[in-house]
Amino acid sequence: MDNNGRRTFLGLCLAGLAALAAAAGGWPLFRYLSPRTNIESAAKVVIPAKDIPEGEAKFFEYAGSAAVLVRKRDGSLVALSAVCTHLGCIVQWQKEKQDFLCPCHAGHYSADGIVTAGPPPKPLPKVPFSVAGGTITVG
Amino acid sequence: MTLLRKIIDWIDLRIGVREVVQKELTGYLLPRNINAWYSLGSILFFAFVLQVLSGILLLVYYVPDAEKAFKSVSFIMNEVPFGWLIRMFHAVGSNMMVLALLLHMLSVLFMGSYKRPRELNWLTGFILFIMVQGISLTGYLLPWSQLSFWATTVATNSANAIPVIGPYLVEFLRGGVLVGPPTLGRFFALHVAVIPIGIVALIGAHLFLLKRTGVSAPPFGQKETGNQWLGDSYHYENHPGGIPFFPHFALEDLRAIAIYMACFLAVLFFDPYLFFPKDAFIPANPFVTPSHIKPEWYFLANYQTLKIFPNELIGLSLQGAAMTFLALLPFVDRGPERHPLKRPLFMACSIGGLLLWIGLSIWGHFS
Repeated sequence: MDNNGRRTFLGLCLAGLAALAAAAGGWPLFRYLSPRTNIESAAKVVIPAKDIPEGEAKFFEYAGSAAVLVRKRDGSLVALSAVCTHLGCIVQWQKEKQDFLCPCHAGHYSADGIVTAGPPPKPLPKVPFSVAGGTITVG
Repeated sequence: MTLLRKIIDWIDLRIGVREVVQKELTGYLLPRNINAWYSLGSILFFAFVLQVLSGILLLVYYVPDAEKAFKSVSFIMNEVPFGWLIRMFHAVGSNMMVLALLLHMLSVLFMGSYKRPRELNWLTGFILFIMVQGISLTGYLLPWSQLSFWATTVATNSANAIPVIGPYLVEFLRGGVLVGPPTLGRFFALHVAVIPIGIVALIGAHLFLLKRTGVSAPPFGQKETGNQWLGDSYHYENHPGGIPFFPHFALEDLRAIAIYMACFLAVLFFDPYLFFPKDAFIPANPFVTPSHIKPEWYFLANYQTLKIFPNELIGLSLQGAAMTFLALLPFVDRGPERHPLKRPLFMACSIGGLLLWIGLSIWGHFS
């Protein structure tokens, strides 16, 4: 092996060691800063049915994000994600108009989460729920 | 490689970067008889950077609130992936940094590098030493464990011995009559902002002075070991025919840092609780003082001195006098000779002082 070959070989060995050291240091750092999978966020949310009168909405945390339960004037229930599909602000329930307003860019959604005005590109995603014995179980 | 060269050419054309590299790195010559002890400064700089980085990472999860501090540290240690590693890196790293700092000071002492015209280098370094002690003391409280709480109580209480202003000073330091939540707030601010900014500024000053004066040549392997500086005008001490800082001494520095890291990681992985007594794992309880509360190893001599003297003021004054003497050493020891074997009085005093410090520390540990 000539001098240049040896130099390249040693250079490669050093680079390999440096890469190994960087990985050994980088992996713990990445894991340390990675968002933690919250066990609680996957749990179901139980809400007493009487907490939501007709025409009203209740906001709560679900799966690490914001969600809302609406009891429409006809008594039916809807569970939706409360995160605006435009730029991620939390929508507000407008009781008088029976619709959602996103305060950031004036996006409007109906009580069922369908876009009625403004920039949101998609409707609010629906959240699964069930009603039994006077309690609403979301998730 | 051609792309890299093109980028460097592009930058060089604008800011003359090659000239800077030539002047400050490749053309920056160090004395031929330079030794490994000269790498301790680089080790310290590296250790400080590691402390800053690990400290910033700890800030992600640490909560500086008396109710939550201990829980947040437990959370980092037990729940956050690799949280134990980051926390132990910071805690063990601080001890290792103090050790490296003491060795750095000893090497400067024994090689007579503090002598004129480097009095200011010594002074800035000495203030850095005090600041490192300060940052260690304030950081000690943050986990809000029994050890933190009571070690801080004892440490802050020693200021009580100062006549007239002592009691007020203690209250001012603590932010109340006793150590409590206000103390945590103060110490946290000092630990993460005030002292680090001070340390960075002083490191800047220390390096600036080093660059302006030039590196001192070790007094070993030379015929003439006296101080050559005449003191008549400013003079940069250059070393013609010396070793280039880059790549030669930079590699020596890298090797020293690698050895330091090997020792540091050996403690971290094989004996991580070396510096942790059991009280470090119990949350602070202001109503229960544990027995045998001791400070960190580098404060044990101070602790034992305070215990020996029945009058706290005498103990404190003695320590203050010793520290002042050390800080002003270049102005006291003005002889030109730098070789340790040709300075018998200095050698006797410094070895005696060192043995006294070690003896007091051991006594403090077992008392």
